[in-house]
Parts: sequence; C-alpha cells; structure tokens
Amino acid sequence: MIFDRPTNAELVEVVSEFLEKEIKINLPDHLAFKTQIAINVLNIVKREQQNEEILSKESKEILLNLFKDPNKANIRELAKQIETGELKLDNKELQEALIEITKKKISVDNPKYSTYKKLIK
Amino acid sequence: MSNDLQLKIEDFLLKNGKEGKVSELIPLTGGASAETWKFTFSDKKKSEQLILRKGSGKKSPLAVLKSEEAEIQKKVKSSGAPVPEIVAISSDDKDLGDAYLMNLIPGESIARKILRDNKFSEARQKLAFQCGEALAKIHSVDTNDFSQVPKKPIREELERLNLTYKSFNQPLPVFEYAFKWLNQQDFTTRKDALVHGDFRLGNLMIDESGLAAVIDWEMVSIGNPMLDIGWMCINSWRFGQSEKVVGGFGDLEEFLEGYSSISNEEIDNEEVKIWQVLGTLRWGVICLIQVYAHLNGDVNSLEKAAIGRRVSETEIDLVDLLFLGGK
Repeated sequence: MIFDRPTNAELVEVVSEFLEKEIKINLPDHLAFKTQIAINVLNIVKREQQNEEILSKESKEILLNLFKDPNKANIRELAKQIETGELKLDNKELQEALIEITKKKISVDNPKYSTYKKLIK
Repeated sequence: MSNDLQLKIEDFLLKNGKEGKVSELIPLTGGASAETWKFTFSDKKKSEQLILRKGSGKKSPLAVLKSEEAEIQKKVKSSGAPVPEIVAISSDDKDLGDAYLMNLIPGESIARKILRDNKFSEARQKLAFQCGEALAKIHSVDTNDFSQVPKKPIREELERLNLTYKSFNQPLPVFEYAFKWLNQQDFTTRKDALVHGDFRLGNLMIDESGLAAVIDWEMVSIGNPMLDIGWMCINSWRFGQSEKVVGGFGDLEEFLEGYSSISNEEIDNEEVKIWQVLGTLRWGVICLIQVYAHLNGDVNSLEKAAIGRRVSETEIDLVDLLFLGGK
C-alpha cells in the first residue's frame, strides 16, 4: 500500500457525512431524497471496503465445505448446480450455505433491512 | 411547454363536449413509462380537479397503452371496485397522443405517509379488509370483456422472468433455487382473472376512511389472481413495517376475510406463501431490469444504480420464506 491516510473508507465516510449534515438539510424534499440515496450508496462502498476481505474468505469456506473442491467453490458454480439439479433443493447444507452467504451480502448492502435484523437477533 | 399542453387539453375536452378553461397545470411524479399531470378545469358552472395520464405512445412489453389502461378502468368500475372515473380517452397524436383524463381522487399514495401519519390511523385499521374486498371485485369481472388485455399464464411469466434474469449473466444462487422451487408448485387451482399486476401501497389512493381508489393499471393482465394477493404480502412492500404482512399495515387474516366476503374462492396461508416467493422473486428481477438499464447505458441514473444493491433484500426475504419460517 503506497497511499497515506485517509484510507478510501475514511474518505468515503467524510463525504457521506458532509452530504448528510450540510447538504441534505438545505434541499427540497425530492432532492433530499435523492441525496439520501447517494449517502446510502457511499455507505455501501464503505462497508464493502471494510469487510470485503473477511466476508469473501468466509463465503469461500462455506462453498469449499459444500463442494470439497477449490475449483468449484464459487457463486457461479453454486448457481449452476442448483439449476441443473446436481444440488437437490432438500439438501440442508445447500440451504444453510444460501442463508449464510445471503446474510453476508445484505450486511454490506443494507444492514438495517428488516429481515436481516430479525435473522441476526 | 405547459402552456401549450394547457391549450391542447382545453381543445381535447371541448371535442368531448366539455367547454372550459384549464388552470394550475402541475406535473406529478409518475412512473418511468408515463407522465402524470394535475389541473383544474372550470366551466361556467363549476371547477373540478382532473388528472392527465400520458404515455410515450411506444408499446412496452411490461405495460399496456394508456388508452387501454383507461378502457380497462372504465369496465372495472362497473364491478364496484374503487377506481377513478375516466373523463376522456385520447389515442390520436392530433389530440393528446396516448393519454386519458380522469377525476382526481383526493387522498395520499405515498406509502411512508400512509403507514406513519396519525391522520391515517383509522384508515390503517380497515385497510387490509378493504384491499381484500377491492381485489375480489377486480378478480370477479368477466375476462371475456377484456379481450385487449394481454394474457400472462403464470408458467409463461416465470419462464419470461427466468430468461430476463439469465440475460444479465449475473448468477444468483438464491434466485436459481426459487425458480426451481416454484417450478415444482401447482398453479392450476385458480381460474384466470383480471389481474392488476402492481397492487400495493404507492398505487392505492388512501383517505382518512381507508381505500379511496386503485390506480396505476399499466401492469394489468389476464392471469392467476393469486399474483395480486402474494404481491400485496411481500416484505418489499411493507416499507420497514415488516411485522404487518399486508402492505405494512394489516394482517393476512383480515385481508383474506375481506377477499372472501366478496369471492367464493378459499385461500389458505400455504398458498399465499407460494405467491409471496413468486412476488419477491418477481420484484428481484424487476430490480435487475432497472439496474441493467443503467449499467447498459440506456439511462444514467443514481436511483437505478442503487437499486442493484437492493437485490440482496429480495434474496434474504426469499431464504427467510423458504427456509426460516418467514411470513
């Protein structure tokens, strides 16, 4: 890493706070709404930046556990094997893998989402 | 532009036997495929508030033409379902293009206001029952009267959704699972009916006593009426109030009671769940359509880009419904 602080996560955060505290409050409703979407997007970027490494590693482990073959341990293969029926719908390990990987995705995309909050309680 | 439109509306209303002046012409935010304007029309005796809905005139695979939407609303109104009254229909470019004029129904359509504002607290108590009644009335109309409405058998719809999803080449294992699971379900238990196609908060006008009108008929089809039931009950349309299964305001039991107060069809919770899975998947694919309209360069839009990261909301709802006892 040749770059100094602020890190990219810290840069994204400061822009997000600027939009939230100084810009959004001075805008009419429809633009404030759009600004909130921009803030949400920046927060996704921040969470992904902070957690990408660990979430990808954990997901890889889940997929390795399911397939026992590092060449197959990826999302594309998982989708393909469900489609072709190689993985059966009643396979509990498959179901568990789908639950856990989906939780990781939503924890970055929208950790305030009602279903996610309910499931991590 | 709006001055020009004002004169065009006056001319068009005159052609339809209504002589008067148009004023206070204001654009309302509408769907992507249509413009919506509000205005006051005054003749010698009185003033009334009307709505203009105007399409691009291009035939879209998702939506019917505005002129067709208006004809459908006219016929549905005779079933007793709450629908705005159509004042005039234009299908000629010399008039207003593909458009129609209807009565403005006073009320609120913004979901968050309906779910949170105190003035709607009484309305919220009755709304699930009223939505059930309205849907049962819509589903009771004679489909033979609607020959121009596209037929969308549910198996073909699922196939179309699957092809659309596949076309983006973005593998989503949860979607694959849901498609496979839905293919194993029995969809033959219902007779074809007129299906609204987008029955949810946002497309319902609500006043202080409850449901005032069902609007936005552009996704209408002839198909399986359970589509409307399931769509109203997916978490995507609860706007954060997820403990209230119906639209974020009501319970499934009240909704189905309202439905069965008009219809003879029996619906149980297990069947609703199948259609919640289908509805959630359908919304997920619509999100993909929107984000790829941005990514493929058809439109450049922050909202459309952002919606791509809402696909995982539909995935978590699907795993909750399918594996974790979600409602």
